[in-house]
Amino acid sequence: MAKEDLLVAGIGMLLFTALMAMYRVIAGPTLADRIVGLNTVTTKVVGIIAILAVLWREWYLIDAAIVLLMVNSVSGLILAKYMERRGRNA
Amino acid sequence: MLEIIPLLFGYSIMFFGSLGVIRFPDVYTRLHAATKCDTGGIMGIVFGLMMIMDGPFVVKVKLLFLLVLIALINPMVSHAIARGAYKMGIKPEVKVDMYAWDNP
Repeated sequence: MAKEDLLVAGIGMLLFTALMAMYRVIAGPTLADRIVGLNTVTTKVVGIIAILAVLWREWYLIDAAIVLLMVNSVSGLILAKYMERRGRNA
Repeated sequence: MLEIIPLLFGYSIMFFGSLGVIRFPDVYTRLHAATKCDTGGIMGIVFGLMMIMDGPFVVKVKLLFLLVLIALINPMVSHAIARGAYKMGIKPEVKVDMYAWDNP
């Protein structure tokens, strides 16, 4: 069917782009580059979970996507505050 | 068949955003590419999923909630990361640093 093919192709595309962002996490020169890469990878994983929820017709996975997005926001804010404080002390 | 348009829009935006994350020379330009393309791409993909799904109405409301939450949270986190990176001492590779005029 065309619908499932489109969704499966989207999952493959998102995995490929997550690998491209994972290169920046591994090879980033500074701490901020790694945080940017992690934020990007987590957003792509949220997209993959939402697509899987529609593909498998398991609707509780959308709640998991919402919770992962909230955890991502909290971790990003904490890492940003950590960077700010480390610059003030150094 | 109309749901192909936002889904393909979201996939292509995601691909070019990740290309920018790899290729750009600076933290701030990488952050620009990453967060703008991520927000637009995920919003396109979730909007396409809202159009393509056939389920209960509550699930569509949940996907709409996910859309609004992404549009609220993702720019906020990127703004905090840029502020923290500047306060940590990473200088942007530009000719004129206008943020340093306001914050000496």
